[in-house]
Amino acid sequence: MSARSADLGSALRRVALPVAGALAWEVAARSGLVSPLVVPSMTRIGHQLWLLASQPESLVDAWYSLARALGGFALAAVVGVILGVLMGRSTAVADALGPLFSGTYPIPKIALFPIFIYLFGIGSLSKVLLVFLECLYPIVITTQAGGRAVSRVLVWSAANMGASRARILRSVVVPAAAPYIFAGFRIALPIALIVVIITEMISSADGLGYLAMYALASFKTDRMLAIVVVIALIGVALDRLAVRLRDRLVFWERLDSYYAG
Amino acid sequence: MLVAVLATWQIATRLEHPDFILSPSEIALYFVEALRSGELLPHVGASLARSLPGFVVGSLIGVGLGLLAGVARSLDQLLSPVVFLTYPVPKIVFLPIVMLWVGIGDASKIAVIALACFYPCFINAYYGARGTSRIMVWSGLNMGARRAQIFRKVVLPGALPLVFAGLRVSLALSFILLFSTEMINARSGLGFLIRQAESSLRFDLMYVAIVAVAVLGYASDQLLLLVRGRALAWQDAASR
Repeated sequence: MSARSADLGSALRRVALPVAGALAWEVAARSGLVSPLVVPSMTRIGHQLWLLASQPESLVDAWYSLARALGGFALAAVVGVILGVLMGRSTAVADALGPLFSGTYPIPKIALFPIFIYLFGIGSLSKVLLVFLECLYPIVITTQAGGRAVSRVLVWSAANMGASRARILRSVVVPAAAPYIFAGFRIALPIALIVVIITEMISSADGLGYLAMYALASFKTDRMLAIVVVIALIGVALDRLAVRLRDRLVFWERLDSYYAG
Repeated sequence: MLVAVLATWQIATRLEHPDFILSPSEIALYFVEALRSGELLPHVGASLARSLPGFVVGSLIGVGLGLLAGVARSLDQLLSPVVFLTYPVPKIVFLPIVMLWVGIGDASKIAVIALACFYPCFINAYYGARGTSRIMVWSGLNMGARRAQIFRKVVLPGALPLVFAGLRVSLALSFILLFSTEMINARSGLGFLIRQAESSLRFDLMYVAIVAVAVLGYASDQLLLLVRGRALAWQDAASR
């Protein structure tokens, strides 16, 4: 009995904050004290969400944002894993590239965006490449750590059984470093989305970041908030997808998930 | 390697090239010039006046709540589901909303920076506090320490390495958000300077601003590492 009421209490506490926030929002929206331009009611945001989902144009914009984020991320994943594994397993490569990465790591790469626009045009290419650059760092750094942490015994056994260096990297080091690599992917994926939205807000004529700024500039707050909800949902969905994929591929190690709460 | 990249760049600019690419030596010259003429420093000041309060407020709240949620079960249940669910949401999307609520000025930028800095600090402090060894807490209690004392003398030092890891991520994030919010809308600051220089084809000034951004990012990171080295001196000694 007391155990059950304790369960109920903890369940209530878990939903308390979201419910309180939603109630406060709705009260503020309906009381008439705050202009609906500042706090539109949830039914209006929901209506705009429905409009967004039913308009093919807005779906195209969502697709643009998603394709830019995933394109840059995929490029960074391939290049980053290769560089990271090489840096983790070879001191020569690590000495050559290490200072370059650690020296430029704390520099916000977004500052290069204007140069990227001049170099690669104002379309998708400059955005994809900036996503690539921002995502590359966490992936390289975590993969390098993973490559270093590979058990010596595994590498020695493979070498003993006649595996070539390339084969060892592919069949031993990469799988053994997979938990680290996925940790890097999980850091990089939200970054990819952030950078896409930022670059679309700064200069673009399509994509969700542009749509949000456009809606704000035309005082359609409900529409803007609906777009924000869509971006948030994409962010959560991508993260869940990464976790799911990781659990599939790295099935031998349980993830101490951020959601374990 | 860094030297090789710079040298290639310098030599490559001798060849045929568009005007928006400057050689490293030219950039260095313009940088010194801009420092002397006072074209740069007010913008650096404006940027720091936005990023520092945002970083300090966001990370203090994040570390504080994270530590408390790590030790107090009821607070954990209240906060953690919300924080972990909204964590992968790109915080920059809140800029338009915050602009609407508190205006287009510095307050909206500081608020968004603080929001972004909150998350890594909360999560790292939370795991740091949760990772406190039970035996240490029990020994403390056994020797008659009060709860507040245990929090200050056991939980806090134990969580410190992760807290600093969170601070470092937040610091980098605060700069990314600072420059992007300034590029989106501002009338001062380095992000604004980059955009303004770009649209008025003052490539020299654009590069100067970009170098300033890089220096600022690098210097603040080194500063944080220095503080971390001081605060965690015992950890290095123990691992040696």
